[in-house]
Amino acid sequence: MWSFYLKELIHSLPFFLDGLLVTVQVSGLSLIAGTIIGFICGILRASGNKFVRFIIGAWVDLIRGTPFLVQIFIIFFILPEVGIELEAFPAAVIALSNLAASFICEIVAGGILSVPSEQKEAATASGLSGYQQMRYIVFPQAMRTILPPLVGQYVLTIKDSSLVSAIGVMDVTRAGWLTVQRIPEGLMVFGLVGLLYFAVCYPLINFSGYLERRMNYENTKL
Amino acid sequence: MISFKNVNKWFGDLHVLQDINLEVAQGEVVVICGPSGSGKSTLIRCVNRLEPIQEGELVVDNTPVHNKKTNLTKIRAEIGFIFQAFNLYPHMTALENVTIAPMKVKRIQKKEAEKLGRETLTKVGLGDRIEQYPAQLSGGQEQRVAIARGLCMNPKIMLFDEPTSALDPEMISEVLDVMRDLAMGGMTMMVVTHEMGFAREVADRVVFMDEGKIIEVAPPEDFFKNPQTVRGKAFLTSILDH
Repeated sequence: MWSFYLKELIHSLPFFLDGLLVTVQVSGLSLIAGTIIGFICGILRASGNKFVRFIIGAWVDLIRGTPFLVQIFIIFFILPEVGIELEAFPAAVIALSNLAASFICEIVAGGILSVPSEQKEAATASGLSGYQQMRYIVFPQAMRTILPPLVGQYVLTIKDSSLVSAIGVMDVTRAGWLTVQRIPEGLMVFGLVGLLYFAVCYPLINFSGYLERRMNYENTKL
Repeated sequence: MISFKNVNKWFGDLHVLQDINLEVAQGEVVVICGPSGSGKSTLIRCVNRLEPIQEGELVVDNTPVHNKKTNLTKIRAEIGFIFQAFNLYPHMTALENVTIAPMKVKRIQKKEAEKLGRETLTKVGLGDRIEQYPAQLSGGQEQRVAIARGLCMNPKIMLFDEPTSALDPEMISEVLDVMRDLAMGGMTMMVVTHEMGFAREVADRVVFMDEGKIIEVAPPEDFFKNPQTVRGKAFLTSILDH
């Protein structure tokens, strides 16, 4: 029986790979949007005016303090009530981008604030404008702090994308759900699903570790 | 060149600068000394408006610094500021540290800026260190890069905020030598320092501050030999006895 199911599973491999493609698409689009929005909000949070900082802080707290599944449901099921109708795929990308952006915002703001204020002071004293200080002095230094956790956040976002299967996006998790009804070997089916996520995430985990070692090395170089 | 008129400054309730009146002439070297917390650093930080003042007038090179309409970038480009902790940019080489402001503030071409940077770093004795990062330099070398960074803007004034206080004793003289050369070259300088040997030798005047006030202004030979105030005497005793 086991070998029969295995054969069946291998037979449905293309179905899983299609699902993996959707997972990569949802995560990839969300990471691009989340990175752009996250960096803008992070920079504003670390240097913008009080009101802007408060608004961004409240948004970050709200997103980080509520379950992602609930956020997906709000976007997919509740927004249509006020006339905003979305397909599952764009709803998933919006929800995941929003989630990724809020975490990336915190990473970026933390990185910028980790640069000693004396650096800004030295740049101010030499006549560099606020924009130039950020562009040439603060940001390049902040990137050392930002990069390792940023790549780590990418891994988390890819894994969080599995929840969008709940609104019917045909990602690799949903492929597992559907397949397990035909092939009732949960361990085998979701083992494969896990393996596929791992195949995408593992290189990123290694990359994050590499960045962390490299940044540390740079910082403590003689 | 630099003129303080009834300058007052508060940090919250703390009155850190009280009725400061001081004129620094072009080419003059003024050493500011006094116990810690006396407002010496704050005084020079006001000159390029790293700190705002609440009352009075501060004029640098005929420009009122603490005026909303003043072009701060232009003023700051003319004033070199040396920090106690060097504050070099750790992600840039010595050459990049000294060329960034000439390129971005004065819009000097990269090639020209690098030529200027090499010359200036050579002048402070670091011609062989231009490609090194701050972490690869000793404290004395870092501070000399910081001085070169200030000089590359071709400033009219150099301000020094305890430039040798963070250095190991054997590195102090290499920094003071560079500052002495600058003073001999006619640079207008305000120097906050505890290096009384340097003050005695190089300063035109010594300003003694305590509790936010200027207590005494005198040529170094007068101040060191015969301070006119009780607090000046007490200060000199405390630093000369240690």
